[in-house]
Amino acid sequence: MKQPLPEAAVFCEGVGVRFTTERGTVTALENIDLTIPRGSFLTLLGPSGCGKSTLLRVMADLIAPTGGRITVLGGTPAAARLKREIGFVFQDPALLPWRTVLDNVTLPLEVGGGKALPGARAPKELLELVGLAGWENAFPHELSGGMRQRVAIARALVSGPRLLLMDEPFGALDEITRDRLNEELLQLWETTGTTIVFVTHSIYEAAFLGQQVLLLAARPGRVRELVPVTLPMPRHLSQRETPEFTTLAGHLRRVLETC
Amino acid sequence: MAAQVPGAFVADTEAAARYRARRRYLAGRRILLPVVAVLVLLFAWSESIKLFDIKPFIAPSPQAVAAVLYERFGILMTNLLPTAIESVLGFALGNLAAIVVATVFVWRKTVEEAMFPVAVMINSIPVVAKAPILVLLLGNGMEPKIAVAAIICFFPTLVNMTRGLRDVRPEQIELMHVLSASPGEVFLRIRVPNALPYLFSALKIAASTAVIGAIVGEWIGSTQGIGALILQATFNFDSPLLYATIVVGSIFSAAFFGVISLVERRMLRWHTAHKE
Ligand SMILES: Nc1ncnc2c1ncn2[C@@H]1O[C@H](COP(=O)(O)OP(=O)(O)OP(=O)(O)O)[C@@H](O)[C@H]1O
Ligand SMILES: [Mg+2]
Repeated sequence: MKQPLPEAAVFCEGVGVRFTTERGTVTALENIDLTIPRGSFLTLLGPSGCGKSTLLRVMADLIAPTGGRITVLGGTPAAARLKREIGFVFQDPALLPWRTVLDNVTLPLEVGGGKALPGARAPKELLELVGLAGWENAFPHELSGGMRQRVAIARALVSGPRLLLMDEPFGALDEITRDRLNEELLQLWETTGTTIVFVTHSIYEAAFLGQQVLLLAARPGRVRELVPVTLPMPRHLSQRETPEFTTLAGHLRRVLETC
Repeated sequence: MAAQVPGAFVADTEAAARYRARRRYLAGRRILLPVVAVLVLLFAWSESIKLFDIKPFIAPSPQAVAAVLYERFGILMTNLLPTAIESVLGFALGNLAAIVVATVFVWRKTVEEAMFPVAVMINSIPVVAKAPILVLLLGNGMEPKIAVAAIICFFPTLVNMTRGLRDVRPEQIELMHVLSASPGEVFLRIRVPNALPYLFSALKIAASTAVIGAIVGEWIGSTQGIGALILQATFNFDSPLLYATIVVGSIFSAAFFGVISLVERRMLRWHTAHKE
């Protein structure tokens, strides 16, 4: 048996998830072996229904794996969650409609022992960072879908997490805003040293953001290929026009077509 | 022009003026339309009394009712006071009890499974049957009337509040789980605010039914109150007084409803704003 590397943010060994419903058993994930080094940026790419969200949810202690072993930041996922080391951006923004934008971002500091978090950041600064300065007192129903998603990102960052799990956070945004937020996310990652696991459907986003791209195949969800991205850091949007990037994107597309 | 924050609300005086004008128009409409409807109905009533030559002891004309409202205002008010106290106290007690029981239900499903059928059974007993039982139990004072009003409010609020506390979006619960929130924090920060719109729908129903409960309670045995005055006027064939009493009772009931709606609008700005 392999020992979890001390520098691993996430370590999975033979992780499987099976859902039992009235219509039978679905194997969402099968035999996932994965090591995510601390401070790295991993993007997850795969066809719809291949288990990307499920894998993130296992890391966040929202689902218990039905097989295998997982370590998050050196302990169980539950331990990391209780220490408030995990930030999660859901596929649906899941804002509280009765709270203003600012109060939504402040929520993580109000509950679960959030008052005493050493890495906590100022909610107002984070709203500025995601381009929502001036919207502090608006209610979620007054925002567009993309703006709500940006509030959710600010909310996930406010507790200063050491592992940031993002489930298609920019899926609802226009290309220009998405590009800007991609660059900002990379800057944030470089300054904070947070480990980021990022699910996306966009090949370009996966290649531009990740140090590694994990390709998952569907039915049952399993690791297809772990592709290292050799583009130099820090990254700039102009790098997406280099032949290196085009080759990488082409490779990802070809693998994805067979998933 | 006011300071402009990039990406935020931009001051646009013309649009703001248009927005305010539209709000004023809608508010005015909301008052004017029912007033017109009431005036038309009053006119139709007055004319049909004349047209079909209806005797005053069968049905009074609106003018006769108005005269009683003016001349016997003192009597009407001394009778409104006990009914108002009974219905407001009954409203408070009944709803408070329902909120507490709903909280217990959501906290322990087993209690709900055991007690909800009992609540349904008690609720299925008609008010007119419950009232005499309560008079026997609680005597002839205000207490049985308060109890009838409370019981009549209890059930709708219990059902709505339980639903509101329970029908929480699963993503919100997952979010709180990732944040390691305690059950108490989930209750206060998710379940309670989520239940408020449900609670207020029930409270608005309860505002009217509490008054009905107090009046029915007074019918069983009372010398004072809107209910007592209704009986007295009926036995004396004093139809103008009967109608005037009913008008006073309805106005009180409507005012009660109005107060609750006002509180709702202030407390649920996030909920009502996008439904207008
Ligand atoms: N709670 C659940 N109960 C039963 N089956 C589930 C549950 N959650 C997920 N599944 C199943 O597990 C599989 C993987 O789902 P998952 O949501 O992880 O996919 P995904 O890769 O995130 O897809 P998408 O890109 O569309 O978001 C699907 O086949 C889905 O039907
Ligand atoms: Mg998903």
